[in-house]
Amino acid sequence: MSDLYVKEKKLGEGTFAIVYLGKRKETDKQAKSVGYVAIKEIKLDLMKQSDSGDNMGIDISAIREIKYLQELKTHDNIIKLHDVYSDIKTNSINLILEYLPMDLDKLIKKKTIIFNSMDIKLIVLQILRGVNHLHRLSIIHRDLKPANLLIGENGLIKIADFGLARTYDDGGINSHSNLTNNVVTRWYKSPELLLGSKNYDFKIDVWSLGLIIIELLIRVPYLPGKDDIDQLNLIFKVLGTPAEKDWPQVKALPHYNTNLYMYPKPNRQEWRKRFIAISDNFLDLLMSMLEMCPGERWNIVTCLESEYIKEFPRPSDPSELVRLMHE
Amino acid sequence: MSEAIALTENIEQIDLTEPKTETIKLYSDDDSDVDSENENDDMRDIVCPICKTSRYLSPDMKFLVNPECYHKICESCVDRIFTLGPTKCPYENCNKILRKLKFKRQIFDNIEIEKEIDVRNKVYKIMNKFLEDFETREDYDKFLEDREDVIFELSNLDSNNETQLEEVEKKLMKYEQMNKRLIQENNQKMKSQEMKQSDMESVQQTLQKERLALLKKMEEQNIEDNQSYKQKIIAELSKGTDKNKIIANVKMEIKLKKSSQRRKLEELNKVLKSNSYTHNHFNKMQDANEEFADVPFTPFNGDRELHKKYKVLEDYDFYYDPFISNLSKVPKYIANGFNEKNIYDKLLNEAFLGFGVFVEEEKKQAN
Repeated sequence: MSDLYVKEKKLGEGTFAIVYLGKRKETDKQAKSVGYVAIKEIKLDLMKQSDSGDNMGIDISAIREIKYLQELKTHDNIIKLHDVYSDIKTNSINLILEYLPMDLDKLIKKKTIIFNSMDIKLIVLQILRGVNHLHRLSIIHRDLKPANLLIGENGLIKIADFGLARTYDDGGINSHSNLTNNVVTRWYKSPELLLGSKNYDFKIDVWSLGLIIIELLIRVPYLPGKDDIDQLNLIFKVLGTPAEKDWPQVKALPHYNTNLYMYPKPNRQEWRKRFIAISDNFLDLLMSMLEMCPGERWNIVTCLESEYIKEFPRPSDPSELVRLMHE
Repeated sequence: MSEAIALTENIEQIDLTEPKTETIKLYSDDDSDVDSENENDDMRDIVCPICKTSRYLSPDMKFLVNPECYHKICESCVDRIFTLGPTKCPYENCNKILRKLKFKRQIFDNIEIEKEIDVRNKVYKIMNKFLEDFETREDYDKFLEDREDVIFELSNLDSNNETQLEEVEKKLMKYEQMNKRLIQENNQKMKSQEMKQSDMESVQQTLQKERLALLKKMEEQNIEDNQSYKQKIIAELSKGTDKNKIIANVKMEIKLKKSSQRRKLEELNKVLKSNSYTHNHFNKMQDANEEFADVPFTPFNGDRELHKKYKVLEDYDFYYDPFISNLSKVPKYIANGFNEKNIYDKLLNEAFLGFGVFVEEEKKQAN
C-alpha cells in the first residue's frame, strides 16, 4: 500500500500527526482521476512515550478519526477518507484524505472577501447539513470551529478532524459520567461544558455552530475568552447569567457558583441592536442556537427546518464560493 | 478694511495663547508642528489653526469648512470672524470671500472627497436628465460621461488654472440656460420619488412596530394566562370535578387562544412582506430563477427520512422503563436538557436504522 502514494509537501503538523500533500502514483491504472490527496501520517513512536515510559498503544484520537470517517464516507459535507495504510519504515499509520485547500477560518480572516447574504446562507446551510448527518448517526463532533471546516475546490464545505468525536451510545443513558467535559476549543465551548457537565448531548455542537455563524457575520470571534473561567464570564456577560427559571436545575452542575454576578438576559431588541443587517428569521435562528439552557436550545433538525433556511433569498451556488476564494 | 480687522484679531488671539503654550510644557512642542498635525488630522491633539485652541482643552470644539476653499476653521472662530458679514478667509494667501451661512460640518475625513461630493451634488442638480429623455442608450451614456467629466474638472482644477475652471463653469451655465425647463421638471420628479420612498419606509416601520408590540403582548398574555389557568384548575379541583376533564378543558382553551393570536401575527407578517418594495422585487427575481431549476430547493437537499418506520407515542409513559424515568428526575440530567421522549426517539431510531440495508449485497457491489 505504502508505495501507491507519494508525499510531496508538508502542509501542517499536530501533536501526533504530520499532514502532507500527496499524489497517487501514475503507475496505478484505475486511479488517475484522484489527483491530489492529503496524507495524514500518525506517528506511533511519539505515542509510546507516556510519563511512565509504558507503551501506550495507538492514541484514542487516531482510532476515533479512522472509525468515524470510515462510517461517514457518503455525505457531501464531510471529508472523505480514501484509504488507510500502515508504514513499517516510518512506523506510522497513514490516512489518505481528500485534499481541501481552504478552511473557513482562513476565509473569515481574509478581509478582502465580502460575503453577501446568499453566500452566508450557503455556508450556514452546508455546515448544518453536515452536522445533521453526524447527529442522526448518533455522533457528536465535539470540536467544531472554523479551522475544522474545510472548503474544497468545488466550493463544498466539509467537516473534518474527528479526533474528539464520539457516539452518544445507547441514547446517552449508559454513558453517565463517562463523557469528559474537556472537549471543544475554548471559544466555541457551550455553557454546560464550562459548568463541568458530564452528561451533555448533541446540543454542544449546535452552540459551537451558532458562534461560528456569528463569526462569519462579524468576521472576528464573538466570545474570545482568555481561559475557561473568563470564557464563562464572557458568555454570561453577553447572553445573561442563567437562573433557575430559564435553566432548570442549573445549580446541579459541578462548577455552578451561587455567587455569580447576575447579568440580565438580552431581549430580542437587544439582539437586534447587535446584528442590525440580518433578517428577522436569521435572528431567531441565532437566538435559538445560542440558548443557554441545552433543553431549550434547538436541535440540528429544527435549525434546518427554520424559516431562515426556507426564506428568500436562496443560498448562492457553491461556484460562487470558489470565485470568492480565488479573489 | 475688514481684512485688517480680521488680521489684528488674529494677532491678538495668537498673543493671548502664546504665553499659555510656554507655561504648560505639554504643549510647547505641539506649537511648532501645528500645520503638519492639521494635515494628518491626528486624533491625538487637534488645534484650530486660527485661534490655536486645542481639542484637548475644549473637547466640544467643532470644525467647519466653507465649500469655497475648504479651509478648516473652528466654530468659535467662524462666529467671531464672519458674524459681521462676508469676509476674506483667515488663512494666509487665501483670498476667497466667505459667508457664515455657507459654513458646514465636514462629513468625510478626506477633504478631496468632501469637495467632490459637494461638486457632484451641485452638478447633479443641473445636469439631471433621465434615460427617458434620450432617444438611444448611447446618447444617455454619452451624457453620463460628459457629466463625470464636468465633475472631475470642477473638483480637480485648482486656482492655478483659473481660465480652464472658468471655461467649465461657463459650459455648465450654458447648459443650465438651454435646458431650464427640463431641469425643473426632472428635479420635481426626483423629489416626488424620494417622497414615495420615504412614505414606503414609514409604512413599513409602523407595521414593524405593530408586530413587535403584538409579540410583546403575546408574551405578557402568556405569563398572565398561565397564572390564571393554575388558579382555575385549583378552583375546579376544590369543587370536586373529575381531574382529567379539567385538564382537557384547560388545554383546549389554551390551544384556541394561542391559535387566534398566531393567526393575527401571520397576517401581519404577510402584509409586511408584500409591502416591502425591495423584498417583493427580490422574490420575483428568485422565483423566476427557481422555475428553471431541475430540483426544487429543500433544506435537507432531499436527504431526510420523512416517513419514519416507527412513531414515538405522544404518551411516552407507555414505555415502561424505570431506569430512564428515574434518570429524568436526576437534577444534573435535567440541567443538560435530558428528555425522556428524545431518548425513546433515539433508541427507536437506532433499532430501525439497519432496516432496508443488506450488508451482503453491499459487500458484493463494493467488490
